[in-house]
Amino acid sequence: MMKINHGSPQHWALRTLGVALIALIIVWVPTQMSTSRIGQFSDAFVLIIAAMSLNLVLGFTGQISIGHSAFFGIGGYTAAILIKDHGWSPGYTFYAAAALAFVVGCLIALPALRIKGIYLALVTLAVAVLFPTLVKWKKLAWLTDGAKGIDSVRYDELPVWPILGELKGRDGRAVFAYWLAFVLLVVTYLVCRGLVKSRFGRSLVAIRDNETAAAVMGVNLTVTKVLVFGVSAALCALAGVLSTLRTGVITPEGQYVTLLGSIVFLLIMVVGGAGTLWGPIVGGLVYVWLDNTTRGFGSESDGVIGFLFGWSDQSPATLILGLALVIIMFVAPYGLVGLIKRLWVKVVVVVPKPAGTSLPTTGQ
Amino acid sequence: MERLLQYVFDGLSLGSIYALLALGLVVVFRGTGHLNFAQGEMAMICTFFTWQFHAWGLPLVVSVLLGMVAGFVLGAGVEVSLIRRVAKKSEAGVFVVSIAMFLGFNSLAGMIWGNLPPEEMPSLFPDEPDDFVRIFGAVWRYEYIGIMIVALLLMGLLFLLFAKTKFGLAMRAVASNPESARLVGIPTGVVLAASWGIAAAMGALSGAMVGGLAGELTSLLMFTPFIYASASATLGGFDSPGGAVIAGLLIGVGEQLAAGYAPGWIGQELRLGVALVTIFVVLLFKPSGLFGSTKVERV
Repeated sequence: MMKINHGSPQHWALRTLGVALIALIIVWVPTQMSTSRIGQFSDAFVLIIAAMSLNLVLGFTGQISIGHSAFFGIGGYTAAILIKDHGWSPGYTFYAAAALAFVVGCLIALPALRIKGIYLALVTLAVAVLFPTLVKWKKLAWLTDGAKGIDSVRYDELPVWPILGELKGRDGRAVFAYWLAFVLLVVTYLVCRGLVKSRFGRSLVAIRDNETAAAVMGVNLTVTKVLVFGVSAALCALAGVLSTLRTGVITPEGQYVTLLGSIVFLLIMVVGGAGTLWGPIVGGLVYVWLDNTTRGFGSESDGVIGFLFGWSDQSPATLILGLALVIIMFVAPYGLVGLIKRLWVKVVVVVPKPAGTSLPTTGQ
Repeated sequence: MERLLQYVFDGLSLGSIYALLALGLVVVFRGTGHLNFAQGEMAMICTFFTWQFHAWGLPLVVSVLLGMVAGFVLGAGVEVSLIRRVAKKSEAGVFVVSIAMFLGFNSLAGMIWGNLPPEEMPSLFPDEPDDFVRIFGAVWRYEYIGIMIVALLLMGLLFLLFAKTKFGLAMRAVASNPESARLVGIPTGVVLAASWGIAAAMGALSGAMVGGLAGELTSLLMFTPFIYASASATLGGFDSPGGAVIAGLLIGVGEQLAAGYAPGWIGQELRLGVALVTIFVVLLFKPSGLFGSTKVERV
């Protein structure tokens, strides 16, 4: 184990190394990898944004929500309808979707003011199941096109971004979607970080840890809960817009629009580490990797995998995800990020600055 | 009048299935304070067990009973092996584990049985097209009558269990104060495992009836009934078994009336919406439900 001081040259070197490594991977993916691989990363980014939004509500504030797939769907449908029916430029639909989802999120938070725990889970469950049902409703078919959904939602012409230059064709679209997703991921991360590290964020954690105590300390429960739900819904809607723009399609039974989407977001957040800023990022990457790897397991696999899952024609991907979730709950209740932190302190410990000093001190 | 009677009757019959499932949710909630999100999926997999026993040549009634036994073992096993251990660590963990079970059971059923075409599920009751009687002009199908009788019978037995037996007393003691219950020598572990077992067994029975109505089995069989059951438990109050039954019947009748009298607006496709809106409205205005007790928290 090595001890280094906060703010010392070694600490800065370590930080720089970390940032450089991440930057390298981020540039490496769209320039060196195949189009399908780039697509997987974009998909991961979309899911990370959604899981980050859920993390604000569930991880930091402790309000169970399995209704986020509805916000995701609201985002996706807002974008699709505005682009297809009203000829909007895709870029502006992000703002519209976020604004609409913010309002809906605040409304759904209203029952959350009086209830918590499983009751809130039930309300959000109702929201998650109601959304696809409403979209398919024949009275709304003029707007949503019913069960068949809306397709070919896309940029007619890709905008030209600095550095990236002009992108064309299928590969170009994939690269553009990747960078668009990346930019939104950074924005979402910064929003979450800004919120969590602020006075507002501390009141969120206070609500999570003890609601009554938080209220006594002067946290305005109503405003805080409603706002955090609204912001979370808006961020999740961004993920929805992104997903629709990337795939060009949205249907009421779409991958992340049904309750299953909410479950996926929850899974990513829990596996990565609930209530941590990096949890959803780690969780999202692990989820997409696991999902893509295990999808192919089945009767054609050989070795251990073939022995374990070869007896069935259907992919064991979902079963493995469920098992992974249970194992994480037992082995690493604070998720992978918690696990990494626990292992990391065995290698390097960053000694924080003693309170009241601005200059780094040496040793202890 | 005939129409009204018809809707009410169909509603009561479907409602008794919801009530059965909702009662399972309530039994689990009273015991451990958790919402078993996987209740529907456990019922679904037990229904597949039932089908399997029947496919092996056992009479249907025996198969259903065996399916219920399998459900009891599954429910108790899950409580002992997973829920109890996670609950020690965190409350939210139980919710996450029940979500994991939801995914796991669903996938497992698909892997084991799902690669065949949808399974034919025989009904427990005569279900030929002409198996019905007309009472006051409304069609009363034998199958619906049978479902209602069996469900109400089982619920009656359960209430006897709660109210008249030593085990029921122990269950009520654990529900009201687990620590005191342990102190006076009640084996709380056994009681909790049995609560989960009973809930899953009731799920198995309702699964067999839902499967018989649908005529086929898929891994999605119990998802919609589970939503209805959650709505019933919410409306009745999560800690009130009687409330769950009454609310289940109310929701069954309510959705039939809504779908029947507003075919243009609600109709078959938005029937589920009735249950969902019920959840939302009840929790917004009376979170403890119609018959539940309000929780008072001390600072």
